[in-house]
Amino acid sequence: MHLDAFELHRPTSVDATVRLAGELAGRFDFLAGGTDLLPNYKMHLNLKPHLIALEDVGELHGHAGDRIGAMCRLADLEADAAFLDRYPPLADAVREVATPLVRASGTVGGNLLVETRCFFFNQSYFWRASLGFCLKADGDQCHVVPQKERCYATFSGDLAPALMALDAEVEIAGPSGRRRHPVGALYDTAGDGIQRVTLRPGELVVAVHLPPGAAHQRGRYKKLRVRPSYDFPELGVAVAGVWDDGRVSELRLAVGGVDPHPRRFDDLTDALVDHAPSEERVRALGEEVARRVRPVHNTFLQADYRRRMVAVYVRRALAEAREPVAA
Amino acid sequence: MSPSAPVRFRLNGQPAEAPCEAPTILLDLLREQLRLTGTKRGCDLGTCGCCTVLVDGRPTLSCLTLARLVDGHEVTTIEGVSPAQGLSPVQRAFVELGATQCGFCTPGFIVTATALLRDHPHPTRAEIERAVSGNLCRCTGYRKIVDAIETAARGGT
Repeated sequence: MHLDAFELHRPTSVDATVRLAGELAGRFDFLAGGTDLLPNYKMHLNLKPHLIALEDVGELHGHAGDRIGAMCRLADLEADAAFLDRYPPLADAVREVATPLVRASGTVGGNLLVETRCFFFNQSYFWRASLGFCLKADGDQCHVVPQKERCYATFSGDLAPALMALDAEVEIAGPSGRRRHPVGALYDTAGDGIQRVTLRPGELVVAVHLPPGAAHQRGRYKKLRVRPSYDFPELGVAVAGVWDDGRVSELRLAVGGVDPHPRRFDDLTDALVDHAPSEERVRALGEEVARRVRPVHNTFLQADYRRRMVAVYVRRALAEAREPVAA
Repeated sequence: MSPSAPVRFRLNGQPAEAPCEAPTILLDLLREQLRLTGTKRGCDLGTCGCCTVLVDGRPTLSCLTLARLVDGHEVTTIEGVSPAQGLSPVQRAFVELGATQCGFCTPGFIVTATALLRDHPHPTRAEIERAVSGNLCRCTGYRKIVDAIETAARGGT
């Protein structure tokens, strides 16, 4: 498979990248690790005439302290167990992204901004042309939920739920300077599903910041997929919190792989704070999260199965998080 | 829109240069322009690992790497894994244990395993299985492949 023509840009600083992104607004994609974008380009999905490669922007690389650069390779995080093991849900998530070969190139920023996925989108041009194009690429009709307004493609990143459970923030650079906000605010929950992130024109994710309190919180990320060695999540449940003598003093839960964007359920987890999470309370929590998510049949596993597994994975994640963290 | 520009890099220890357009994929540069056909095109989408090469020592899917981005870097293909004479320890173990059937996936496995044993000379079987979990083999069932890597780590049969 060959790539169509595009112009490749290689800025070397965040400022130059922001300037370039402003000049090319609407006509470019950022290229990070390329493990998601280039397969999509090979399948002629929403091609742009310019690619801005972030490889040479030094500030985006590396991780230190509580900061992870957007271009930090997943394999480099994986190799630093001392860093990663401070954040158990993130450690689980990083180690479960695709394969070691994908993680060797794939980046933290790329996983946060991974394209949403759907049966009817992640197909070759020939396949899509045969059936009729979809709302997300080249067409005007959704084949999953037939209508012309909204895309239901599924958010399929692993890191976002884990980072949301850890209360992490993203640092964003843009024409009006730098800003930081919670990871969950990256995702456009009110849009049409095609405009899926809240980044403004010319903005890029520079880094992820973990809050000081996140280190050594208990937590897990549990991932449902067909092939444990490769697949995108059919469901991802992340929990992080603090247990004092069996009582929860802090708890957050985030779910990905079932909606067009990852979601947190603070009203439900807040209700568990200051309680010992009894089996009954945990079961009720899982069932309520399962009731609220909206999976559609656009991935390998049936939507109803994925929904029922939400309750199971919430229970499993909480049970495993409650176990003392290994020293 | 996409004029050709020279890409200069080290390939299997030697300087290499080739004109590349922006969309040229490293796998195509290696196979079509430089005629190093040991690196195989499998799925072409990053799923199978057949196209694995080392870029600055890191196992890399050459089907998902823009050739222009290896400018100034060091690329090692399966041809570069072999010593001037004979076979590398991983290659010898694959031959002696019969860890190939059709052989199409073998270069990718050997490149991945070579990097693994360089960084972790004494991996457990579970670590080997995890390290090659991005390389697909449709023939062998993997057992002999993992046996061969384990054997190479022990210093041979």
